[in-house]
Amino acid sequence: MASSNDLVEQWFAQTLESFPDLSARFLAEEKDRFRNPVGHALHTSMAALLQEVLGNMDAGKIAPALDAIVRIRVVQDFTPGEAVGFVFLLRSIVRGSNPPRPAMIEARIDQLALMAFDQYMRCREQIAEIRANEIRRQTRARPALQRK
Amino acid sequence: MPQELLRIEAKKPGGNWTDPAVQFRKGVFCYSAAAKNVRALDLPNPRDWQPFDADWKLPPDWKRILLEGMKERLEKYRSFRLFMDICVRCGACADKCHFYVGSGDPKNMPVVRAELMRSVYRRYFTLTGRIFGRLAGGRELTEDIVKEWFYYFYQCTECRRCSVFCPYGIDTAEITMIGRELLNLIGCNTNWVLEPAANCFRTGNHLGIQPHGFKDSLEFAADELEEITGIRVDVPINRKGAEILFVMPSADYFAEPHYYTLLGYMMLFHEIGLDFTFSAFASEGGNFGLFSSHELMKRLNAKVYEEAKRLGVKWILGGECGHMWRVLHQYMDTMNGPADFLEEPVSPITGTKFENARSTRMVHICEFTADLIHSGKLRLDASRNDRWRVTYHDSCNPARSMGLLEEPRYIIRNACHRFFEMPENTIREQTFCCGSGAGLGTDENLEMRLRGGFPRANAVKYVQEKHGVNLLACICAIDKATLPTLLEYWAPGVEVGGVHELLGNALVMRGEKPRTTDLRGEPLSAEVTHA
Repeated sequence: MASSNDLVEQWFAQTLESFPDLSARFLAEEKDRFRNPVGHALHTSMAALLQEVLGNMDAGKIAPALDAIVRIRVVQDFTPGEAVGFVFLLRSIVRGSNPPRPAMIEARIDQLALMAFDQYMRCREQIAEIRANEIRRQTRARPALQRK
Repeated sequence: MPQELLRIEAKKPGGNWTDPAVQFRKGVFCYSAAAKNVRALDLPNPRDWQPFDADWKLPPDWKRILLEGMKERLEKYRSFRLFMDICVRCGACADKCHFYVGSGDPKNMPVVRAELMRSVYRRYFTLTGRIFGRLAGGRELTEDIVKEWFYYFYQCTECRRCSVFCPYGIDTAEITMIGRELLNLIGCNTNWVLEPAANCFRTGNHLGIQPHGFKDSLEFAADELEEITGIRVDVPINRKGAEILFVMPSADYFAEPHYYTLLGYMMLFHEIGLDFTFSAFASEGGNFGLFSSHELMKRLNAKVYEEAKRLGVKWILGGECGHMWRVLHQYMDTMNGPADFLEEPVSPITGTKFENARSTRMVHICEFTADLIHSGKLRLDASRNDRWRVTYHDSCNPARSMGLLEEPRYIIRNACHRFFEMPENTIREQTFCCGSGAGLGTDENLEMRLRGGFPRANAVKYVQEKHGVNLLACICAIDKATLPTLLEYWAPGVEVGGVHELLGNALVMRGEKPRTTDLRGEPLSAEVTHA
């Protein structure tokens, strides 16, 4: 029987296929969380997400894990679909697992995908906001200009 | 519905690194330099263009210009020829670049970034490459390669983390520098580098602030300090016969949070009675010429020694800045020196000789202040910084180019009660760059900066979660400008400040009124105020 650990490894490996081969290897093999923050964040957050999908679907636990992954993929070279598409990979993995998981798991994965899309949009909006904040800080031009 | 539409494809089309095609998607590259700035610096090929245009309007003989430029530099810089020849592709540098770690783009591996140029070197400057071409690892120089160089040489912050790990000591930052220098020959440069450089050439600083604006800024700072401490500090500008010329990055007197560091310097100089002067001519330590070409760096840097000579000072003290120190420490002496009209720096307060600065005659403010603290010349009340739980980001250039590792930490430990280091493989010589140095810190390039800054922010987030860290201290003006943005995205709740801001908060000045706020105007706790 495929343990949830096996499922995480499959999910992680398939997600890494979105990177060029050389990088996928690095992201999978380097275990130091500071030398490989992307690989570490993907792996630990996917494990947390899968636990919720197979378990209680606790929104409080899903949100930070989803955020950790999506926040990274938003700024990498992915289209929006590619950035959140990793969620759908889980569907075929679960479907092919032995023994098969209950059908409601797939509905949960759909729910996760919608949450990932919401999170993607929140990150995009935040990028627009922090860009504006940065310009505001730079043009505050405190001393000379404020005085006049 | 065709079955292929139902399949989720995770795999990206694979590519060979020798294929130079790049896509200029907004958010991950810097815009081109405006023609007026190119003209102001007498650089070639001023025109209106953008990287996402199909036609870059290169000069008709661009290929000849690039190859001749490369030949000239191979002859002029032995390091460049050596770096083109000796790499054995051991891979030690491959996963050390913050842009690679954050993006997963193999062309951000330092070895591959250098290979983008090495392949052209091999094709045109080695016998095997000339005969066997691609078989010998050579690539034809095409317009696509020019675009690829532009894309990837402006995705390197010249932070030199990779060079720490290279067994041959190849300095990939120097390869990037040469790459940009070559691109400059055909007019492929970015506005965020050339506009500050053009301003600097005109008024002496990156923002183009004129002398009266400079004076006004510093006097405003003195007014504000009087409100906080009750003490009126002097603002000597262009004062002939002063013992020391103080040069800082211009961000210190116009941007936030740099400005609080300026307040810290001014308090310190007043408290120890330093005989110094600011200069409205040498009103910029930073040098965006470094990000274009050696010639431009030299032109912008010349004002520092010129002004020291004109004012008749004995030596020069420099503020908290990053690449400013790479220029001052590694190039200034041979570029615009020797500064034989200056004296070997000696602290007038402690008598300490700064033998390390015997040649450049220029001392880093952290060395100077650490010596004052070590000699017991300052009274510090660290409790005034108790609202901060501090970590320290080793700004790349002072850390890796100067070896300035202990002094800032020594100051922080004396000025604050709560200091926490980030993990060992993210600090000191191995420090991760902010991802915005070397002229990349512009808003149109924000997504690339967020990628490149992720390894740094990841370590900050770790100490934030583990120790409740809420302030990232650093000693670089670009860090102070760009890390707040980075942390807003990756580790919200952590602010950014300078080491001399913390010092200024803690500094007990003779004759001061009871402090009720810190330098940011935030109230101090009642116990601290009445201590």
